[in-house]
Amino acid sequence: MKKKRLLFPEIDEIHEHDDSALDVLRPRLLLASAIIMFFAALIFSRLWFLQISNSEEYLDKAYNNRVRVGSLAPPRGHILDRNGIPLVTNRPSFNVLLVRENTRNDEELLKRLADVLDLEVSQLWERIRDASNIPLHIPIRLEEDIDWQTLAYLENHNHDFSGIRIEVTPRRVYHFGNLAAHVIGYLGAISKEELASHGEGDYAGGDQIGKMGLEKLRESDLRGEKGTSFSEVNARGFEQQLLKRVDPLPGSEIQLTLDVKLQRLAEEMLNAEDKAGAVVAMEVNTGRVLSFVSTPPIRLEEFIGGISQKNWNAYLNNIKKPLINKTVQGLYPPGSTYKMITALAGLDTGVVNPDTVFYCPGYYSFGNRIYRCWKHVGHGAVNLRRAIAESCDVYFYQVGHQAGVDALAKYAKMFGLGQKTGLEIENEKAGLIPTKKWKRERYNSKWYEGETLSVAIGQGYNLVTPLQITMMTAMIANGGKKYQPQLVERVLSPDGSVIEQLEPRLVEEVKEVQPYLPLIRQGMYDVVQGKKGTARIARIEGLEIAGKTGTAQVVKIAQYKGLKDDEIPYKFRDHAWFTCYAPADEPEIAVTVLVEHGLHGSSGASPIAKAVLETYFADRLAAQAAEDAEQQ
Amino acid sequence: MFRIDRRHFIHFDWVFLLLLLLVCGMGLFNLYSASYPPKAWGTPTYLKQSYFFLMGFAAILFVLSFDYRELHIWNYPFYICIVLLLAAAFFLGEAAGGAQRWIDLGFIRLQPSEPAKLMLVISLASYYSRKEVLDGYSLKQLLPPIVLTAVPFLLILMQPDLGTALMLGIIFVSMTVFVKLRISTYLILGGSALFSVIFAWNKLLKPYQKQRVQTFLNPENDPMGQGYQILQSKIAVGSGGKFGKGYLEGTQGHLHFLPERHTDFAFSVWCEEWGFFGSLFFLGIYFFVLLLGLRAALYARDRFGMLLAYGIVMLIFWQAVINLLMILGFLPVVGIPLPLVSYGGSSLLTTLLALGILMNVRMRRFQPGRGEREEG
Repeated sequence: MKKKRLLFPEIDEIHEHDDSALDVLRPRLLLASAIIMFFAALIFSRLWFLQISNSEEYLDKAYNNRVRVGSLAPPRGHILDRNGIPLVTNRPSFNVLLVRENTRNDEELLKRLADVLDLEVSQLWERIRDASNIPLHIPIRLEEDIDWQTLAYLENHNHDFSGIRIEVTPRRVYHFGNLAAHVIGYLGAISKEELASHGEGDYAGGDQIGKMGLEKLRESDLRGEKGTSFSEVNARGFEQQLLKRVDPLPGSEIQLTLDVKLQRLAEEMLNAEDKAGAVVAMEVNTGRVLSFVSTPPIRLEEFIGGISQKNWNAYLNNIKKPLINKTVQGLYPPGSTYKMITALAGLDTGVVNPDTVFYCPGYYSFGNRIYRCWKHVGHGAVNLRRAIAESCDVYFYQVGHQAGVDALAKYAKMFGLGQKTGLEIENEKAGLIPTKKWKRERYNSKWYEGETLSVAIGQGYNLVTPLQITMMTAMIANGGKKYQPQLVERVLSPDGSVIEQLEPRLVEEVKEVQPYLPLIRQGMYDVVQGKKGTARIARIEGLEIAGKTGTAQVVKIAQYKGLKDDEIPYKFRDHAWFTCYAPADEPEIAVTVLVEHGLHGSSGASPIAKAVLETYFADRLAAQAAEDAEQQ
Repeated sequence: MFRIDRRHFIHFDWVFLLLLLLVCGMGLFNLYSASYPPKAWGTPTYLKQSYFFLMGFAAILFVLSFDYRELHIWNYPFYICIVLLLAAAFFLGEAAGGAQRWIDLGFIRLQPSEPAKLMLVISLASYYSRKEVLDGYSLKQLLPPIVLTAVPFLLILMQPDLGTALMLGIIFVSMTVFVKLRISTYLILGGSALFSVIFAWNKLLKPYQKQRVQTFLNPENDPMGQGYQILQSKIAVGSGGKFGKGYLEGTQGHLHFLPERHTDFAFSVWCEEWGFFGSLFFLGIYFFVLLLGLRAALYARDRFGMLLAYGIVMLIFWQAVINLLMILGFLPVVGIPLPLVSYGGSSLLTTLLALGILMNVRMRRFQPGRGEREEG
């Protein structure tokens, strides 16, 4: 007997129909087989029509099926500076192709070719072997980007090189070498992942695609549209001649906000002393970035066609970390440049007023510790303006202590510190502005008041980027308006018409501290122009500058105390900051310089800022000098 | 679980299996040529397909091990699984920034729309066999199968995969017309079908889908696009002549004139390389296998078995006919593969699973306690 089912016991019974129920459907199955046979007959007769009756015609068509559709790489859009000076364009690159059909005595030909190309024959064989999977009719690329002499030689002796063809593809040219390399970025062969994420319609294996910087971020603008070539091929698939081409559409041009002059000057000054660091110059009333330097530079030429392992390792092992874009990825304690924030926190919370005076004996004792002022003999009695001008640590220890770390953090964040700015660049870092809550969550421990003192002078847990400090300075200069920093000013079509114009964007305006900003600006004015300012070295005849120096401690090690600067090991030397704006009365531009392990803000960093300002105001300074000369 | 009944062994249709193996072998053999030369990296196409063949035959063994009537029950989780997978593919695809037809399972990019076709056959067979109406189904009685079809149909249509969605519709029509309907039901269904075609054309079809149909109707308009593909396929087939150009000697395929030569247009390669007689041989066996499948339906022991076998034959038959008419220039490019020939793991596994069920019906054609009734 059969077992009864647990589930659906009725299933067994339902189907115990007698055959008559099935008999109703059986004729329909015969009809179904008739349908199958009908379609089979239809398909067979179609096959007969194509393969027997008309096969001559189609054989002819297959033989004459001679048009192959290929794609032509579009010239990539140029990258210009703010004045339209081209930074990156394209040039034709000549590649050597081997058409395998036409080559009979391979060995002889390759020997001659190897001589001309200055390669080993075995290298050429290797490249041919690598391409053994590629269908025979597709030419192999033996060498890329040959020079003019080689090209001329090959063209003149083309009868000796039958089967060798020259292909022309666009290749990037960097008119100013590695200028703004971190902003521009580089190209590389598209990877399988990128191919999948872009969709296969627009890209094919072997295409170049932006891998870093604006080349990557603005890929869709720069790229252009592929053209199509219709070439005649013979019966075995080898191309005979080009019948027709639909030219590719060049990519759009990107006009940067950068100014080549300022950019080059700042890069050269940092590089001249072989220093790692960053320079950011920005228009205070628009947020447009004029100079955006990170050194050591990356050498863009090395990245074309894929960087070699040796070069890549050299980048990775370089102690100065060229691959880090220090303007937005370098994190440093702000040092004394943070004192403006501490001052604003003190004023707005009412801890101090403009006339509050603290006495600086050269140190501040708190708990059972001594906190030193950088000037060991002390500043004496200082008010806020003088405290900024002379960067008195003791003054800010007290302000910070009374205001508290969370108040400091509030004003730091108000001015954009510890937050991503949203600049059009990859991998921007946020940095860190500590609060009590942060410490509890991060380290599960309570905040110590002594730590507030370090924070108040920009040390301790504080970490910011040079771009953030530039934004802070710009906001102080322009009365508290936070502009979105921008690197791209407009996108232009190749014929010069504007496709996209990126207008300055006001992100927010911090109204509550506006009344205190003039006092802060006076302090910063005294830093450069005052008698005892810390950055008098940066003064420029005929231009008034306001700024602030800073020294970011890397380590606090007693054994280096009292050593001369150049006796301290490089990696333990302090970072040097200088941030400023000019003209002091009607600010236009903010400049920040950070020199890694540059020791002192005044001597290490401010000369570069000074040079940038001199260049920026060169015309006005010259005109003024001429006027003065006339009056005399 | 694996209790071997000697009668099943005797009643197993060995001829069917042998012919099936022959078709599969020729399909794989052809795929080697259609994907020649092998890609520079990764597993070669023909090798991947042969793994799927092995998996498929393992699946057939598994399916044969139990009575097909168990599918009345397995049908439910199967249906729910497929619908969830379809929805997942749709929403994952949306999240990834574009329509998506597959789900990555690691060893296979599963296209749930492929098993959905088989799932629909089983569901409809199950419903129509449990709810038998001798004087014809009324519209109300047809509501459950309509809903059963509409859910996966709409999910696939949104992917958007017009060809596969239409296949579901064709399966529904084939199976529903097979069981008896009332005249009024025919009229209403026919009328609403006509209406929805007009509606779909005006509202639902994406421009590229419309373009495919229009190109087909008017191929001169688009010599390098859809019309180009069909023309190249016709040239491939026609230039094969009586005996073909020889294995691996086809020029249309190997010189890249033929589009998608290892998927939708795989059979064009066969026609080009083996000519009229080669194609006749292949398709003769192919259609004969389908007729053998109908014989399994004819002698099935119950209504469920009959509907299953019939539905599975129709499932494979219509895909084959649409694909063949496409490569021979009778239909627009719709993206329907030729089962067992075109490359694609999901399609292949589904087809073999379906054929396993078919063999199961055939093998268990004798009811216990009934008089033997052998055909022929």
